[in-house]
Amino acid sequence: MFRGAIAIFWRDLLVLRRSLFSELLAVIAYPLTLYLAFGIGLRGYIADVDGVPYALFIAPGLISMTAVSAAFNDSAWSVWFHRRVQRTIEEYRVTPITVYDIVIGKIFSGFAQGTLKGLAVALVIFILTPFRFPPAHLLAYLLFIFLGSMVFSCVGTICGTMIDKPENIGRVEAVVIVPLIFMSGIFFPLSSYPKAAFAAISLLPTTAIFEGARQALLNGKLAPLSIAILLVTAVIAFAAATFTFNRKMSE
Amino acid sequence: MAFALEIDGLSKVYGTLRAVDAFSLCVAQGTIFGLLGPNGAGKTTLIRMLTTLLRPSAGSARIEGHDILSSARTVRSLIGVVPQDNNLDRYLTCRENLVLHARMYAMAPTEYNRRIDELLELIGLTGRQHDFPDTFSGGMQRRLVVARALVHAPRVLFLDEPTTGLDPQSRRAVWDYVQSLTPQMTIFLTTHYMDEADALCERIVIMDHGRALVDGTAAELKERLAHAHTYELEFRSDGERYEKILRGLPFVRNLQRTGNSFRLALAGEEFLKPLMDRIGGDDIRKICLKEPSLEDVFIELTGREVRE
Ligand SMILES: Nc1ncnc2c1ncn2[C@@H]1O[C@H](COP(=O)(O)OP(=O)(O)OP(=O)(O)O)[C@@H](O)[C@H]1O
Ligand SMILES: [Mg+2]
Repeated sequence: MFRGAIAIFWRDLLVLRRSLFSELLAVIAYPLTLYLAFGIGLRGYIADVDGVPYALFIAPGLISMTAVSAAFNDSAWSVWFHRRVQRTIEEYRVTPITVYDIVIGKIFSGFAQGTLKGLAVALVIFILTPFRFPPAHLLAYLLFIFLGSMVFSCVGTICGTMIDKPENIGRVEAVVIVPLIFMSGIFFPLSSYPKAAFAAISLLPTTAIFEGARQALLNGKLAPLSIAILLVTAVIAFAAATFTFNRKMSE
Repeated sequence: MAFALEIDGLSKVYGTLRAVDAFSLCVAQGTIFGLLGPNGAGKTTLIRMLTTLLRPSAGSARIEGHDILSSARTVRSLIGVVPQDNNLDRYLTCRENLVLHARMYAMAPTEYNRRIDELLELIGLTGRQHDFPDTFSGGMQRRLVVARALVHAPRVLFLDEPTTGLDPQSRRAVWDYVQSLTPQMTIFLTTHYMDEADALCERIVIMDHGRALVDGTAAELKERLAHAHTYELEFRSDGERYEKILRGLPFVRNLQRTGNSFRLALAGEEFLKPLMDRIGGDDIRKICLKEPSLEDVFIELTGREVRE
């Protein structure tokens, strides 16, 4: 059972290990720049948010953002690359593993990469900045990173499965993923939204990830609504990803 | 006789194009079967259906008695596949490519490491096993793909143009190896090299437009063209003059000239004597009946024009 998924996961980790240093360096640069620009550069112009210093306010979101976008990117590009460029998916498909093995293996390696990269950013922000949180809150925070990476890895897998042209993956990212991330309370509190928008925004899974993760890290609170939204989204995304992949493969 | 492969009216339709059209075939266990056909004949499409990558539009097929649709997973555990285009993982080394394949078959490390060592030795890549496929020549990559299909010792091996791009030495090495695999393994191969099919395959089918045109041993297929009476004629000199004479003879067909050599077909065996009477014996260096080659059969059946 799942030996194919494990074999594919093993393959992805083997490949990741070879380029681990350069990958982490690349993935850390972006959130760190944002942190320095907004958290330090704009510090004097932005008041505290709900009593939390601005740099402290954005730090958890930057870490979560790195994790989920890494999960999305790795899954989307990996599935696309193996399907369209190397055609290694065909090699997998003539062995006695199932289509579910392939998609689950890919989802889990996207998820693992997201989590790993999120942790790397957390470590760097922790070392380089005065950002501090009570260590006891870490576990609750990790739960959000886990669920968030899982959701985005599934969404990435769906994109990598359905989209044939690489530029369209970039477009989906620019039009759907990035706005979803930026509008969900990384850089400003959700209370800035007009009342009507607030209700809709607060139901977004991305909001659940970022808002929930921040609450968890700063206050040690596990918001039940956020967890529920994320769990449901993760289950739906997982089912949708395996279904989409399975259907594409039997074309 | 037990069949490794039973194909029953298999079809694949793309819109209005019948890429494979009600194709039926049985291949005996332990034999080497060759499928020939011009570009676009439907060879790869047929192999993709048999290897469970593509869903047939109609028909059914069994491999070692297992249905390709209802027992796809069992079928996949019994087959090895060398696709037309190399699909190596270029982020894995040569050896890792083979190891990943073995892991998909749940082989134990002690088992697969020994097997992989053997195969690497065989394809002459032992010294390069820790290099990436991108640094290999086309022929080396091809050999690696063949080795990968053999890691799990399949019962039926599908080879879609296995020797395309190989040098003569490597081609012969692949032939020798493929031959050594029978009769434990059944081989289903496609090729555009007629000499390869002739040397290797115990049975050949030539297909075009998704359908089988002929079926038999290489000798049987050539026999079909034996009525063609093709001769080779070589003169010591005076090519120009003899061409005029030959062109004037009503029973000479398909005349081709290269210098003082001619290739021609006679309308019937009885015209050999009139031919000799007309050209006389003085200048003839050589005259011989030309055995039809498999290539002649192929061209005769599938026409001369290049496919789109
Ligand atoms: N996905 C597809 N959609 C539409 N038509 C296709 C598709 N795949 C193959 N075909 C068509 O099916 C026909 C058979 O193609 P196939 O690849 O099986 O030929 P082949 O015999 O392997 O040729 P070659 O010797 O060039 O490899 C071709 O006319 C091709 O255009
Ligand atoms: Mg082909």
